[in-house]
Amino acid sequence: MKPISPPRWALRFFRWFCDPDYVEDIEGDLIERFGKRSSDKKAAKWLFALDVLRLFRPGIIKSFEGSKSLNYYGMFKNYYKVGVRNILRNKTFSFLNVTGLSVGIASCILIMIYVKNELSYDAFNSKYDNTYRVLHYFGTEIFPVEERFPLSEHQVWGNAPVGVSLKDFYPEVDHVFQFTSANSWLVEYEDLQFQENDIVYADSGAFHVFDWKMYHGDPKNCLTEPNTVVLSTGLSRKIFGDENPVGKMLTMDSDYPMKVTGVYEIPPNAHLSFDAMVSMPTFQDSRPDAFDTWGYVDFYTYFTLNENADITVMSERIPEFISFSEVKGYTVSFEALADAYLNSEAGRQPGPVGNKNNIYLFISVALCILVIACINFMNLSTARAVERAKEVAIRKTIGSLRGALIAQFLVESFLLTTCAGLLAFGLVILGHPYLETLVGKALPMMWLTSLENVTLAVVALLVLSVITGSYPAFVLSNFKPIKVLKGSFRNSSEGIWLRKSLVVLQFSLSIVALVGTAVVYNQLSYLKSFDKGFDSEQILVIDYGWDSRVQQNINFIKSEFAKHNAVASVSASRATPGEFFPNAGTRIEAPNGEMIAKDPALFEIDNDFIETYDINVIAGRGFKRSFPKDSSSSLIINEACARYYGYNNAADAVGKKFSQWGREGQIIGVVKDFNYVSLHSDIEPLALRYSTGQTTSRLSLKLKSGDYSRTLAELEDIWIRVAPYRPFVTYFNNANFNDQYEADERFGTVFSVFSGLAIFVACLGLFGLTIYSASQRAKEIGVRKVLGASTQRIVALLSYDFIKLFALSLVVSIPISLFVMNHWLEDFAYRITVGWEVFALATAATLLVSLVTMSFKTVSVARTNPAEILKDE
Amino acid sequence: MGKHQLGEFEEVVMLTVAILIDEAYGFAIIEEMEKRLNRSVSIGALQTVLKRLEKKDYLSSEMGESTAVRGGKRKRYYQLTAAGKEMLRETKDQRMGLWNALPDFQLKISQ
Repeated sequence: MKPISPPRWALRFFRWFCDPDYVEDIEGDLIERFGKRSSDKKAAKWLFALDVLRLFRPGIIKSFEGSKSLNYYGMFKNYYKVGVRNILRNKTFSFLNVTGLSVGIASCILIMIYVKNELSYDAFNSKYDNTYRVLHYFGTEIFPVEERFPLSEHQVWGNAPVGVSLKDFYPEVDHVFQFTSANSWLVEYEDLQFQENDIVYADSGAFHVFDWKMYHGDPKNCLTEPNTVVLSTGLSRKIFGDENPVGKMLTMDSDYPMKVTGVYEIPPNAHLSFDAMVSMPTFQDSRPDAFDTWGYVDFYTYFTLNENADITVMSERIPEFISFSEVKGYTVSFEALADAYLNSEAGRQPGPVGNKNNIYLFISVALCILVIACINFMNLSTARAVERAKEVAIRKTIGSLRGALIAQFLVESFLLTTCAGLLAFGLVILGHPYLETLVGKALPMMWLTSLENVTLAVVALLVLSVITGSYPAFVLSNFKPIKVLKGSFRNSSEGIWLRKSLVVLQFSLSIVALVGTAVVYNQLSYLKSFDKGFDSEQILVIDYGWDSRVQQNINFIKSEFAKHNAVASVSASRATPGEFFPNAGTRIEAPNGEMIAKDPALFEIDNDFIETYDINVIAGRGFKRSFPKDSSSSLIINEACARYYGYNNAADAVGKKFSQWGREGQIIGVVKDFNYVSLHSDIEPLALRYSTGQTTSRLSLKLKSGDYSRTLAELEDIWIRVAPYRPFVTYFNNANFNDQYEADERFGTVFSVFSGLAIFVACLGLFGLTIYSASQRAKEIGVRKVLGASTQRIVALLSYDFIKLFALSLVVSIPISLFVMNHWLEDFAYRITVGWEVFALATAATLLVSLVTMSFKTVSVARTNPAEILKDE
Repeated sequence: MGKHQLGEFEEVVMLTVAILIDEAYGFAIIEEMEKRLNRSVSIGALQTVLKRLEKKDYLSSEMGESTAVRGGKRKRYYQLTAAGKEMLRETKDQRMGLWNALPDFQLKISQ
């Protein structure tokens, strides 16, 4: 029989991994066993390989030290060992470093999670890059359609015919999706009753343009029939639980039976979201005229392009498109879906938008914290250089090259950063839910654990350790051994200026962060306490969502509420200040007698609105019951509107002719400007039109002070009596108005948390430096005490150095923070000026915190018995 | 107390080494164990245990002659050390102590 040989690869593998001491005898055993088995060739080879694999285990595998041919290995092992010992020996410093760095890293990661979420808006759509929306522009005198006009003058909200026209004119357009602004509807199913605020009419383009998830129903056809509705998962669960609702009938707004044709879900990182979508044909049946009037504004238009389309070419053809559509005084532009959330300046957004400035501010704060932490590391390492000087000198004498020493200190900084990185990971997991509460959004973080991100994190740690470690490594490896070993090397002044300037930098950054926080807070409280020009306290609003039964009975209902002794006055209106309002094409006689057409905002109100909201009438009069013609031929405007039509003196506008939405008559009064939208923007022209009740959806009750909970219960009883068919949905106007600042407020909180962290980390470093300098000057302090210096004197002495640096930081930080915060404030039409109080506050706070931090050490040093310090001399 | 206790496999390996007297090298031990105990033993498992026992000083080893069957590789012969013998004896005494304390009826299989 021809002898067979064992598989070569297995043998080679075995020789490679096996400990060289054992390789011979085990290989012999393997071969012997193989020989015994060789009657069955195939099985023997296979079993041989199996045996080899089973030998691949600790105890048999050669140790890594086996690659002793690499001289570096031993050195790295030594660096590692010395590094670990050093870290353990100086527990305080290592703790300060690791804490600071981990807080810095964790803040960066948390902010990255947030920023990534902000940037991810709408990106889930497969046609993300090919989706655009129409921005509408209705010309004004200042910016006529023919001229170049800023995008901020555009609005997303527009008309319906533009959708059809787009498809007709541009062959590139694949799908168009139009929906209306959100309305509140009463949704009823069996005995369940909900008032839902975010319900739109939407056409069947929805699921062609957007990749919203469809759980039940057919995405292509669910919105094609009149009287059908698709529900969001949230609403569907609220009404039907886990049941499949497709085919069920809902009653909407009491009169309209609607069939459920689907359930969808819009991801949380979409820039728009609705509770339900009613099919557009439903709207078309009730208002066919709205669909071919270019002036009827209630639609949002989104569209997708085919692969080869070029949006710039399309934009250049807009004038052609407008003349093709045969409209005047109107034009459009296109905005990419990618810009919708963060880069859109247009007005009338369909949902909340993000703020790019805030994102930049967050990123800068996170970087600040990291920089401060890195500076801590550098300062503490160089400050303590003396302690390492001997080690460096000995190493050099024995023959270490400078490069090797640099490598050593880099290994140490890598050890520390790795610890900090691991700790930061824990901090991120702990901090993530808090961050979610702070920003009020779900922030997915699973993407962090993907392979590429983990690799990236490791690389980032390496880079970080090189950044933090390179300067100390450079300084430490630079010592002259002869100087050190002769003993003439003492506390070197080398690098002190750098250390000091780094401290200045740290504190400048901290002060900037703190000034930022103070400015944000001041601005927010300014907004809340700002005199808006109307009274929004103690006004209870009842939302009955256009219910026609309430509208028909409005006078009776009002009088019933007015009878309650806690109610000062009652008013019905289309909307209340702070809420959604339409604009209305309005012609008003200009000073030269010509009728000018413009689009002021519109409030529809009754006789009592001006009184209830305590709005100032500066010329003419408000609506009055004693003037029956008010309901058909009178209009009130605000000052801004008077100016808009050319009247600098408000009183001159009174008595001028107007025509609006089918009414003609005279301006009867001018009211003082009041802020009916957020204070982010200026007061826009507004017309106040008389409403007979058919166009109202809100009841505003001005309450006298007293026991609100009891009053509220009694008012509810009245409501149940007068309008039993409608749920009692209420809110206070000022709370609702302040909701507009929710995003600002959240921003303020997040910002202050991270500013706090920045200061915390800076103080960690300061504390470390104080410990160091106190220990350096221990003898001096001892001698001073012996000579009679008081504790306070010594604390002052130790703090004095810092105060000098702090003063310098102030000089640096004031201009920076002024610049940054003024930029931030530009977002608000009504803003505070950044005054000296803010700086005084920030300075005082930082100084106090730092001095207190230092005092933990300075006081104990100053109180030490001098004998303790001086005894070893 | 606190002294190392032999694991079952360790004990079996040491006993086999003792049985084989001067012929206890890797493959011989495996063959002996497979023959007597009717269980298959992998070289990996055996070698790990041998190295461990050697480290604990229960076994000692030296290299022997080479043969053609082994592709010219030498064998490593194992022997019990004094400590190893002591350990084995102790283990046996413990076991016997347990066996002696066991009442007879306990192991009878009831009908």
